[in-house]
Amino acid sequence: MRWACILFPQLALDGVLRHREDPKAALALIAGPAQRRMLQTVTPAARELGLRPGMTLTAARALTDEFVIAEYDEKQIEHWHHLLAAWAYRFSSHVSLHYPRALLLEVQSSMGLFGPWLHFEQRLRNELDAMGFRHRIALAPNPAAARMLANSHDGIAVPDRHALRETLGRMSVERIGLAGETATAFSRMGLRRLHQVLALPRDTLARRFPEQVLRHIDTLLGDRPLVLDCFAPPDFFDVRIELNFDVESNQTLFFPVKRLVSDLAAFLAGRDSGVQRFILHLEHRNLEDTRLTVGLLAAERESEMLFELTRGRLETLQIPAPVQAVRLVARDLPRFVPESSQLFEDRPQQKLPWEQLRERLRARLGDDAVLDICSHPDHRPEHAWRQQAAGKPDLAVALPLRPGWLVSEPVALGDDAGQILAGPERIESGWWDGADVRRDYYLIRTEHGQLAWAFRQVGQAGPFWLHGWFA
Amino acid sequence: MTDYAELHCLSNFSFQRGASSAAELFERAARHGYQALAVTDECTMAGIVRAWQASQENQLRLIVGSEMQIQGGPKVVLLAEDLTGYQVLCDLITRSRRRAEKGDYCLLAEDFDQPLRGLLALWIPESGIDDEQGRWLKQRFNECLWIAVELHCGPDDAARLQELLACAERLQIRPVAAGDVHMHARGRRALQDTMTAIRHHCTVAEAGLRLFPNGERHLRSPQLLAEIYPEFLLAETRTIADRCQFDLGQLRYQYPRELVPEGHTASQWLRHLTEKGIAWRWPEGITAKVRQQVDSELELIEELEYESYFLTVHDIVRFARSRHILCQGRGSAANSAVCFVLGVTEIDPARMNMLFERFLSRERNEPPDIDVDFEHDRREEVIQYVFQRYGRNRAALTAVASSYRGAGALRDVARSLGLPPDQVSALAECCGRWSSRIPSHERLREAGFDPDNLILHRVLTLTEQLIGFPRHLSQHPGGFVISEHPLQTLVPVENAAMDDRTIIQWDKDDLDMVGLLKVDILALGMLSALRRSFDLLRDYRNLDLTLATIPAEDSATYDMLGRADTVGVFQIESRAQMAMLPRLKPRTFYDLVIEVAIVRPGPIQGDMVHPYLRRRNGEEPVVYPSEALKAVFERTLGVPLFQEQVMEMAIVAAGYSAGEADQLRRSMAAWKRRGGLEPHKERLAKGMLERGYTAEFAAQIFEQIKGFGSYGFPESHAASFALLTYASSWLKCHEPAAFACALINSWPMGFYSPDQILQDARRHRIETLPVDVQCSDWDCSLEPTTDMPVQTEQPAIRLGLRMVRGLHEEVGLRIAQARQKKTFDDVSDLSVRAGLSHRDRELLADAGALLGLAGDRHKARWAVAGVEPQLPLFAGQSSGQEKQVLLPAPTVAENLFADYAAVGTTLGPHPLKLLREELKRCRCRSSRDLLVAESGRLISVAGLVTGRQRPGTANGVTFVTLEDEFGMINVIVWQDLGERHRRELVGSQLLRVDGRFESEKGVRHVIAGRLQDLTPMLAGLDVRSRDFH
Repeated sequence: MRWACILFPQLALDGVLRHREDPKAALALIAGPAQRRMLQTVTPAARELGLRPGMTLTAARALTDEFVIAEYDEKQIEHWHHLLAAWAYRFSSHVSLHYPRALLLEVQSSMGLFGPWLHFEQRLRNELDAMGFRHRIALAPNPAAARMLANSHDGIAVPDRHALRETLGRMSVERIGLAGETATAFSRMGLRRLHQVLALPRDTLARRFPEQVLRHIDTLLGDRPLVLDCFAPPDFFDVRIELNFDVESNQTLFFPVKRLVSDLAAFLAGRDSGVQRFILHLEHRNLEDTRLTVGLLAAERESEMLFELTRGRLETLQIPAPVQAVRLVARDLPRFVPESSQLFEDRPQQKLPWEQLRERLRARLGDDAVLDICSHPDHRPEHAWRQQAAGKPDLAVALPLRPGWLVSEPVALGDDAGQILAGPERIESGWWDGADVRRDYYLIRTEHGQLAWAFRQVGQAGPFWLHGWFA
Repeated sequence: MTDYAELHCLSNFSFQRGASSAAELFERAARHGYQALAVTDECTMAGIVRAWQASQENQLRLIVGSEMQIQGGPKVVLLAEDLTGYQVLCDLITRSRRRAEKGDYCLLAEDFDQPLRGLLALWIPESGIDDEQGRWLKQRFNECLWIAVELHCGPDDAARLQELLACAERLQIRPVAAGDVHMHARGRRALQDTMTAIRHHCTVAEAGLRLFPNGERHLRSPQLLAEIYPEFLLAETRTIADRCQFDLGQLRYQYPRELVPEGHTASQWLRHLTEKGIAWRWPEGITAKVRQQVDSELELIEELEYESYFLTVHDIVRFARSRHILCQGRGSAANSAVCFVLGVTEIDPARMNMLFERFLSRERNEPPDIDVDFEHDRREEVIQYVFQRYGRNRAALTAVASSYRGAGALRDVARSLGLPPDQVSALAECCGRWSSRIPSHERLREAGFDPDNLILHRVLTLTEQLIGFPRHLSQHPGGFVISEHPLQTLVPVENAAMDDRTIIQWDKDDLDMVGLLKVDILALGMLSALRRSFDLLRDYRNLDLTLATIPAEDSATYDMLGRADTVGVFQIESRAQMAMLPRLKPRTFYDLVIEVAIVRPGPIQGDMVHPYLRRRNGEEPVVYPSEALKAVFERTLGVPLFQEQVMEMAIVAAGYSAGEADQLRRSMAAWKRRGGLEPHKERLAKGMLERGYTAEFAAQIFEQIKGFGSYGFPESHAASFALLTYASSWLKCHEPAAFACALINSWPMGFYSPDQILQDARRHRIETLPVDVQCSDWDCSLEPTTDMPVQTEQPAIRLGLRMVRGLHEEVGLRIAQARQKKTFDDVSDLSVRAGLSHRDRELLADAGALLGLAGDRHKARWAVAGVEPQLPLFAGQSSGQEKQVLLPAPTVAENLFADYAAVGTTLGPHPLKLLREELKRCRCRSSRDLLVAESGRLISVAGLVTGRQRPGTANGVTFVTLEDEFGMINVIVWQDLGERHRRELVGSQLLRVDGRFESEKGVRHVIAGRLQDLTPMLAGLDVRSRDFH
């Protein structure tokens, strides 16, 4: 067998840079708590400025201001790693994510399809270049050796075990994947290259080092197999259909969308799950995708029903620009539990429970069209309530007596306001957001017997301003 | 005229609640014509002394009280009617504080089971009134209970008033009006909201209903109050206020009595100890002059009744002496003859020209101030002794009220206004660490902020208000209060952050006001080093030295100081001091006192350094403005250098009394923070004009006083320090090996790393021997020299196992102990007998400490890796013989890197020596070349960067210290070059500097013109530069 290792020395940076217009920018990825932000990795341009990984952001800023920062995001790195594995899956059915920031591919069996290694390697490199991932590639008789060779030799292809022993022997003990303390121990004994270690009697080494050290060396040399987990393609749905022409009408989109939805249904059936939420991306030329989120109350997988819901949302959608491609992404894939089909259904089909009605309304009218009202802790009456997305719990807030109906704009009451029943209740608050109020509120019975809530500016005699009515 | 007294009012010592200082509150209450003002901070007396001061300044009576929430019970305000009531209150606060975490309290219902004599209580009912709480309080306080009616324009004040009055009627409790005051004026509303948000760790917007709905909780005008409250509720405040007659001035502090044996009075006993001390200090008898000084001091002490204070300090010092803990007193009274004979100080009064009365004044009824420095690593023993001797009840540490500085205030305010963390940090950085002002607009713009932005404007305004507010209490490093009676009869005691420490709620200024005794038990690394030096000399040479017996005025020592050969010497080893020494060339002890005091921000900013030097070197005539002032300034050649001189000058030239002069000193220390120096300007000018001085001279003196500001150094402290400076200089001059050894064993301390101290020692021809398990103890030690020329009498320094980075002390001690029985046979034997872990063995191997046992580092590493855990049965038997393997020997460079990594220093060649040829090729000179270089030449130098300093007084200049195999090179980097070459300046370990060489009177430096980072030449060398910013 022959194994290729593709090492991505700058996976995190490349992942960020491929979204940026200027890939040569001085960029540093940072991580850590807000008080102690540290540079994780830097681009060559940033290195030129004296920035180094491990520096605190404060120290870096002390050095220069001419760099941009982005978050070092483990999740993103994993995402790219998997994306690359999915890409590599085309070239080999035996792909492994065993090492971080690297892919292992068994390539012997694929050479029939992709030609001799020289061509094969070139093809890998071309595609990776196109995707914007820097890489190092090494080929060796076993996967562990391929990985370690990639540390110091880009483009090496070691044909057999004999050559492998030669090549590895020249490598520094620091770079062959030994645990830090072992590598340190070797170099503190003056053993800097692997061949120096191999020259020593095996029993003297066995006495001094933990078992796994010799085991690791054996694995490198191919004397022991490396157990690998094979990569399996993802278990979420993400399919994109490129349209042959620019589509401007919603109706025309129904067909491709229907295809996507039925593919999704088939996919769901295959893994025995349902979908709770999926997103339809409509891709435009120079514009952000239009995203249409379809949410369901319970996990579903029936094609017709999913399409009906989607169509309901799609019909009302204003498309800002011609659509070039549609893409359906579904990640929320819980187990599917079929509705109980009892012999005697005990509730009438027509009657919808509130939650279901709400979902249907939301699916038809959009998430923003159905709202709850909730209270909000703020002394200012106009800030003391809010709209929120329907279905979230209301955090009850204990407020003093407040009118049920607050008018949206206070209106002046006539001179003859009526009779003051209580007050003033003074409210002075809100200086921090530029909407500072200073008012004295009164409970007033108007001459028509209505209970009004009205205020005056603090310290001003002026007219009362009606702000609400009590029921 | 109104009849209102505010009985419920918080100052900013209710941390993150009260939004005004006591001064602001009293000023406003007085203006409104209040009858009295109670300060009722939440379960604390920490702000009461300040309130008392404000009350005196505004001539408005203070009522002492506290607001407290009883666990599961009502909230009350307790007011002290008389001294007994105050003591009960302090006791309640102490109980509830001591049972809670630092900063918190827990007041239980059962705490009210004790008699509550002298306390008046206001019940603060919640919105839904719980009659049960009222009844419970009524049972305990009876006719001393009121129900507080607090109206703040709530939803329906009329209804609330009726509700409260009905309750009062029902429970037969008298109602009284109160304000629940959180700020002096409505204008603090935004700050109060912000503090609420800070307290709840949220933003103001998130704080929601936790904010007060309006700004009514301020000191409202009498007219307004009359509109809100019925007359009888207001009148009742007056009734209560009249009953509360307690004043902090009634507190009587008593010194501990047990120090005086039965049958003696304190003054008899002090005289007795003094006589004993005289016999000890002057076995051959005492001169008439000193006798007279002792007598007059004793007289003054007796007159002011400070005997017990001196006895207390003597007792602590006596304890330290009995444990061989070195100590040295300093402070206003420490350098008196009495303190010398009591052993508090080692400064022979004959050596100094100091008048005791200058510090202990008849007029000023304040305790004298003595700080005692103890050996750094043994101070804890002294602290524990004090706790033990007097009990936790009677001894506690002083508090420090930590106040908001610029950065902290800005950070808290910005966060509570919802600025993102990155911006909060960036803003705080604009402030600098110690600044107490908001950053300038230019500074903000530089950092990319727009000062005109509305939000930023809000942030800055609030920050400005918050700066200077106390934020929490912490413990003073060593200020003890000791009392005859339990402390909580004087002031509440609470827990400190450290276990087994308790603090009182007052800081040192509070103590001064109330007249409490404080002894500062401080720590000083140099005392440890001196004691170690004495121990080493006693063991190695049988030479018994003490601080007092070191030969005085030794000319070889002064010669050395004149050469600025002072690495390791106390107080004068910094680069700035080294630059001063060759110019000042100290020849007497008093010169050292000046040397210690002159290189400080005060004299530098007051522009006193150069005039002094010119006069000393005869380049400028020594003149005095008058004959009277000649006496004051003669010892410093007419230039004011010390705080005491400024005070004396005020007395002599402006007619101040001693007490007033002391106030001037206090204002000087505080004017940057609080202002308050202006009144003195007039006063000084007037007094000086009357005495025939010119107005210009008065103005000039005032400017100097301002420049002096808070940095002015007292002569009394300088003298105590100078003594240690002299002692350490003498040791460095005559016993350099023991001194260097002791310095390293006392590290971390001082300015230089052990590596630098050892290099300095080697330059002084002291032999240094490597760490070796067959010879080294835990500490560095002295050994006879091996191969050095016989002419040096100095022993060699054997590096101790403490030099091995990462090795634990107990392991090192075990090795030394095991070796005492028998030296080690091999690594295995060492490992078994000293109980070494795998890690210990590796550390020793890497440090080269196994050279004698196993050979070079590589071999040692191989050997220690082969040590197998032995079963006790086979102890002592070495396991089966193994084939010898061949390992490459370490190279010189490898050894060098390993030395620095494992021991932090190298006994092999200095890294620059290895690079010297290469450096020569690029025309870099060494520090030795500079000794003969011509001033003004353009030259290049290179060295390891061992120091980078940017003092606040130097206008952005950075002082860089380079080190090479021969010594150090001082480099000056001007601001613009520093900014252009920021990366090289901040990032280089090995730095090349091209620039102009300047040499004058033995002071040499290079003015940098270009910087170049040569660090790659060193790759991997572990020399960390120490930055002092």
